[in-house]
Amino acid sequence: MAVAVEYYLLLSAAVFCTGVFGVLTRENALMFLISVELMLNSANINLVAFSHFYGNATGQVFSLFVMALAAAEVAVGLGIVLVLYRNFDEVDVRNATTMRW
Amino acid sequence: MVGAFDFTPAIPLLPFAAFLVAMLVGHFAPRLLPKGGAIPGILATAGSLLLSIWTFLTVSGGSYHAQDIYTWVVGQNTFSLHFGILVDPLSAMMLVIVSLVAVLVHVFSLGYMNDEGETGLPRYYAGLGLFTFSMLAFVVADNLLMAFMFFELVGLCSYLLIGFHFREPGPPSAAKKAFLVTRFGDYFFLIGVVGILATFGTARFVAVGDGVHSFPHLAEQALAAAGGEGTMPEHVAHFLDVIGMNAETWFAILGLLVLGGVVGKSAQFPLHTWLPDAMEGPTPVSALIHAATMVAAGVYLVARMYGFYALLPTVLAIIALVGGFTALFAASMGVVKDELKQVLAYSTISQYGYMMLGLGTGGYIAATFHLMTHAFFKALLFLGAGSVIIAMHHNEDMWDMGGLREKMPVTYYTFLSGSLALAGIVPFSGFWSKDEILYEALIYGAGDSPILLAAYAMGLLAVFFTGFYTFRMVFLTFHGEPRSDTARDPHGVRWNVKLPLVVLGILAATVGLVNMTPVAELTGLHIEYLHQWLVIPEASDFAALGYDNYHHLLEQFAGYHAADIGPLAPGAVSLALALGGAGLAWVLYNVDSPTEHTEKLGGVKTVLYNNYYQDEYQVWLAQGVTLPLARAADTFDQGIVDGVVNGVSSVSLFAGSRVKRIQDGLVTHYAALLTLGLVVLLVAFGLLEGWF
Amino acid sequence: MLIEALIAVTLVSAFVVMLAPDEVAGKLAFALSLLPVAGSLWMFGQFDASGNALFESGNLAFETTARWISVGPYALNWHVGLDGISMPLVVLSTLLTSLAIVSAWTPIQERQSQFYSLMLFMLASLLGVFTALDFFVWFVFWEFVLVPMYFLIGIWGGPRRKYAAIKFFVYTNVASLVMFIGFVALVFALPVQTMDLPAIAAALDAGNFQTTYGLGAETLKVVAFFAMFLGFAVKVPLVPMHTWLPDAHVQAPTPASVMLAGVLLKMGTYALLRFNFTMLPGVARDYAVLIAIFAVVSVIYGAMLALAQQDLKRIVAYSSVSSMGYVILGLVAYNVYGLGGATFQMVAHGLISGLMFMCVGVIYNVAHTRMVGDLSGIADKMPVTAAVFVAAAFGYMGLPLMAGFAGELFIFLGGFSATFPYAQLFTALAMFGIVVVAGYLLFAMQRVLFGPFSADTDYDIVPAAPHDAAAIVVLVLLVVVLGTVPEVFYGMIQDAVNPMVDSLPEATAFLTGGEL
Repeated sequence: MAVAVEYYLLLSAAVFCTGVFGVLTRENALMFLISVELMLNSANINLVAFSHFYGNATGQVFSLFVMALAAAEVAVGLGIVLVLYRNFDEVDVRNATTMRW
Repeated sequence: MVGAFDFTPAIPLLPFAAFLVAMLVGHFAPRLLPKGGAIPGILATAGSLLLSIWTFLTVSGGSYHAQDIYTWVVGQNTFSLHFGILVDPLSAMMLVIVSLVAVLVHVFSLGYMNDEGETGLPRYYAGLGLFTFSMLAFVVADNLLMAFMFFELVGLCSYLLIGFHFREPGPPSAAKKAFLVTRFGDYFFLIGVVGILATFGTARFVAVGDGVHSFPHLAEQALAAAGGEGTMPEHVAHFLDVIGMNAETWFAILGLLVLGGVVGKSAQFPLHTWLPDAMEGPTPVSALIHAATMVAAGVYLVARMYGFYALLPTVLAIIALVGGFTALFAASMGVVKDELKQVLAYSTISQYGYMMLGLGTGGYIAATFHLMTHAFFKALLFLGAGSVIIAMHHNEDMWDMGGLREKMPVTYYTFLSGSLALAGIVPFSGFWSKDEILYEALIYGAGDSPILLAAYAMGLLAVFFTGFYTFRMVFLTFHGEPRSDTARDPHGVRWNVKLPLVVLGILAATVGLVNMTPVAELTGLHIEYLHQWLVIPEASDFAALGYDNYHHLLEQFAGYHAADIGPLAPGAVSLALALGGAGLAWVLYNVDSPTEHTEKLGGVKTVLYNNYYQDEYQVWLAQGVTLPLARAADTFDQGIVDGVVNGVSSVSLFAGSRVKRIQDGLVTHYAALLTLGLVVLLVAFGLLEGWF
Repeated sequence: MLIEALIAVTLVSAFVVMLAPDEVAGKLAFALSLLPVAGSLWMFGQFDASGNALFESGNLAFETTARWISVGPYALNWHVGLDGISMPLVVLSTLLTSLAIVSAWTPIQERQSQFYSLMLFMLASLLGVFTALDFFVWFVFWEFVLVPMYFLIGIWGGPRRKYAAIKFFVYTNVASLVMFIGFVALVFALPVQTMDLPAIAAALDAGNFQTTYGLGAETLKVVAFFAMFLGFAVKVPLVPMHTWLPDAHVQAPTPASVMLAGVLLKMGTYALLRFNFTMLPGVARDYAVLIAIFAVVSVIYGAMLALAQQDLKRIVAYSSVSSMGYVILGLVAYNVYGLGGATFQMVAHGLISGLMFMCVGVIYNVAHTRMVGDLSGIADKMPVTAAVFVAAAFGYMGLPLMAGFAGELFIFLGGFSATFPYAQLFTALAMFGIVVVAGYLLFAMQRVLFGPFSADTDYDIVPAAPHDAAAIVVLVLLVVVLGTVPEVFYGMIQDAVNPMVDSLPEATAFLTGGEL
C-alpha cells in the first residue's frame, strides 16, 4: 500500500520548520549546523516523494546531489565551528560579530 | 584689360600684410623691422591710398563694381554667406578718406611714438595695420554680414590700441569699457543681421547680376505689396507669417536693431560713454580711430544701407532725434572740459550726432558730406592736439598751456584751420557740410514731418556751443600768456608731425568747396560736385545706391517732402550762432590770463563736469546690478542647485549609515530576516495570485 | 577597417606608454598620439560619405559591420562608420588629445606613464563613441570614457579631487542609466532584432510598435525622449544638471580639463543629435519651446555664473555651460543652419574651450595660482601667453573670422529662422550671452593680464616654456583657420544634417533654395 504523497509533504514541512526553529533560536553553532542539515533533508524528502509520485527518477538523483552538497557544507561548517572554538573558546554564534558594518 | 577694380581687394589686404610683417618680424627678429614697423605700415597704407585714388578716379568715370570674392559658407538647401566688394561712389570716397588718414597717422606716429621712445612699437604698428585692414574691408563690404564681421574686428583693434599702454591701470580699463559698450550695441546689430538674413535670405546691399537680390530692394517690394502694389516676395511673406507681424513693424524693428550697432560704434547717446575714456589710447590712435574712421563706421553703415532706412519713417525720425540730441548733449559737456583731448572727444560725439541728424532727416548727401569734412578736420585737430601734447611733455591740461601760438606756428595755424571748420565758420569745410545738414532738417521738417523740427532745433542750438567750446580750446591752448614752465619752453616737433598737419590743414580749409549748396543756389552754377558724385544714373545696375533712388524712396515711403525755403537765411542763422559762440569765447578766454568762468554755472557745472552722470549709471548697471545679480546666481547655484545634488548624496549616505545597522553580525538575526523575507514574499504572492 | 585600425593603434599606444619609463612617457605619448592624428587627417582627406549615418540614404565612409554576439533574439553587431557629423568630431578628438598631451609635459610630474596612458585610453574610447553605429558598441565606449577621466581627476587633480571625481562619475553614470533605460525600452517596443542604430531609426520612422507597456505609442516616445534627454543633458551639461562640471574642471589637471571641455562635453550634444533629434524629431518638435527654454537658461545663467567667479578655471568652466546652451538651441531649431551650426559649434567650442583651459594652465604652471585677484599685469612677463590669451578670449566672445563666431552665427541664423513658437525671441535672448561673455572675459583679462605688474605668489613669473607656448599658438591658428574657412567641416556637416531637415518639413518651411 502506497502512502499518499500529502503525508510525505507534511513530514517534510515538519522537519523544515524544526530546522528553521533551530536556526532561529539556538546559540550553539553545532546546533545551528544540525538545524541546517534538517532543512536540507526536508528538501530531500520532498524530492524523493515527488519523484516517487511522478514515477520519474530525476528527483532522486537530485537528492543525491543535495546529500553530497550537505556533506561538503558540513565539512566547511565544522571547519568554521572549529575556528570559532579556537578563537572564542566556545561555539556561541553571538560571539562572532566582527563581520558587520 | 586690367583695371582698378582688379586691384580693389588689395586695398585692404596691403595693410593686413603690414600687420603680419609687424607682428611676425616684430616677434622673431625685431632688429630687422625698420622703425619698429612704421615703414612697412607707411608703405602699405600709401599703396592702399594710391589704389584707392585709382579706384576713385575709375568710379568718377562712371563705372562701378560689385564682385563676390569668397564664399564663406556654401549653403546646402539654404542661403549662402559670402564676402564681396562693392565699389560705388560712397565706398570709393570712404576708401580714399580712410587710407589717406591712415597714411598720415602712420607718418605722425613716427613723431609721436618713435621719437618719444615708446616701447612695443611692433605691437602698435601691427594694431594700426590690422585696424586699417578691417576698416577698409568694412568699407568695401557688399553685404551686411561682412560689414558686421569687419565692424567687430574694428572693435577688437580699438580695444588693442586703446589698451596699448597696458602696464598702466587706466588704458586697459578704458579699452575694456570701449569694447563692452560697443559690444552692447553690436548685440542688437547682430540680431539685426541675423534677422535680415532670416527675413530676406540675403544681406546684400545691392543686387547686381542675375538671380541675386538685395535686402533693401526686397524690403521695398514687401512694403509696396503691403500698400497694395505688386506682390510680396515669397520668402519675406513666409517669414512675416511665422512671426505674425506686418512688414512695416518688423522692418522697423530690424532697422532699429541694426541701429543699435551704429549707436554703439558712432558713440551716440546713450552708448557714447566709451569714447571720452578711449582718449587713454595714444593720440594718433585717437585721430585714426575715434575721429576719422572707426566711429565713422556707424554712420557709414547707415549711409550704406540707406535704401533700407529710407523706407522706414519711424526709424528715420528716431535717428534724427538721437542725432540731434547727441549733438547738443555732447556739445554742452565739451564746454567745461579741462583737457584738450576731452574737448575733442565730446566734439566728436557731437559731430557724429550731426551726421545722424542729417541721415535721419533725409539729408543723405549732407551727412556724407559732413562725414568727409569731419574726417579731415577732426583728424587734423587730434593730430594737432598730439603735437601740442608732445610739446607739453604729455600734459593735456589746457590750464597749463597758453601762448603756444608763437612757439609752434605750424601747429597753431593748422589747428586753427581745423577749429574754424569744426565751429562751422565760413568758408571752412565744416560750415558747408553742417549748414547743409541743418538746412535739410529744416526743409523736410517744415515739409510734412514736424518731428524733425525738434531735432533741427537741438542741432541748431548745438552750433552755438560748438563755436564756444572750440574757441575756448583754441584760446586756452595757444593764446594768452604761458601758464606753466613746459608751455614756456615746449618740446619741438619734427617734419613727421608737421607734414600730416599741413596736408590736413589745407584739406580742412578747402574740402568744403566741393558742395557749396548756398552758393550754387545763389549763383545758379552747377558746383555741387558731391551731389553729382552721389547720383547714379538710372540706367546703371547700381542705381539703387544712388541719391535719386533714395530721394524717391524717402518721398514714397517716408513721406518726406521738402518745404520751399531758401538756403541763405538758415545758413546765416547757423553762421551767426557759430560766430556768437566763438565771440563769447573770445571775450571770456582770449585774454592774457584767463580764468575758469565755468564756476558761474553753479550746479550746472557739476552736472556737466560729471557728464550728466551717464558713466555713473552705466557703471552702476554693471557693478551695482549685474554683478550682485551674478553673485546671487552663484549663491543660488552653489546653495540650491548644487545643494540638491549634494543633498541626494548626503541622504544616500545617511540612509546607508542607518540601514547598515541591520547588518549586525549575528547569524541568528540574518536567519530571522531571511525567514521573514520568505514569509512576506509568500504572503504577497498569495494575495496577488489569489491563493487565499 | 580604418576605424578599427585607428582605435587599435591608439589602444596599443596606450599600453606601450603605460610600460614606458616616466622620463620618456610624455614625449613618447605625444609621438604616438600623432599616429591617430595622421590617421584621422588621412581619413578626412579620403572622406567620401554622403548623407546621414542614420538614414537609409546615408552612404558611410570607412564602414564595417561584423557579427559579434547574440543576446536572446538580439544581434549585437560591431558596426562603425563615419558621416559628416562624426568625421569633424573624430578629427577634433585626435588633434586635441595630442595638444593636451603636450600641455601635460610641464604640470604632470608624477606617475607620468600612467597619466599619458590614460589620455590615450580616453582617446580610443572617444573614437569609439563617435564612430560606433550599434547601440551596444556605442554604449560600451560611452561608459568606458568615464573610467580614464575618473582616474585623471582622482589621481592628478587638485585638493578636492576625490569629491570631484566621484561626483563626476556618479552623476554622469546615473544619467547614463536613465538614458539606457529609456532607449532600451524604446527598442524593445519596436519590431527589430538588432541594436543597430540605423535600423532602429528606420523602425521608429516607420512607427510600428509591438508593445508600448500600456502606454500609447506617442506617450512612450515622449517618455523615452525625455529619459534620453535627461541622460545626455547631464553630459552636455544643461542647467540645472551642470554642477558637476565646475568641480570637475577646477580639480582636474589642465590636460584633463582640456579633454573634458573640448571633447567629453561634445559626447552629450553628439548623442542628443544622434538619438533624440534624429530618431524622434516629432517629439523634439512638440517640446521645442520647453527645450529652448532650457537652452536659453543655460546660456544666460551659465554666463551670469561665470561673471561671479574669481578662479579663471571656474570662469571658463561656467562659460562652457553657456556655450553648450547654444548647441541645444541650434538643435531645437531643426533647420540646416541650426543643426549644422550646432555640430559646427561642437567642434569650434571644443577647440576654443580647450585653448582657454590650456592658456589658464600655462599661467597656472608658472604662477601656481589661478585666482583673478592674485595676479595683475602678467602680460609684461609672459607676452606670448598673454597675446594668445587675448586671442582665445576674443575667440570665445565670438570674434568674426574665428571659429566661435561661425558656430554661433550659424546657430543664431538657424534659431531665428526656426518655426516653433517664439523662436526669434528665444534666439534674441540667448544672443545676449555674447555680451555677458565679453563682460567677464574682459574683466578677467583686465585684472590678470594688464595693469601694473604684481603677483601674489611665491613663484617667479617667467615666460612660458616653448612647448607650452607652441601648443596654444597652434591651437589659436586652428581656431582662426576654422573661422576663416568654415567650409573645411561645414560642407560635410550640412550634407549630413540635410536628411534630418528633410524628415521634419514643418520646421524648415522656409530657408530653402540657394541665395534668395
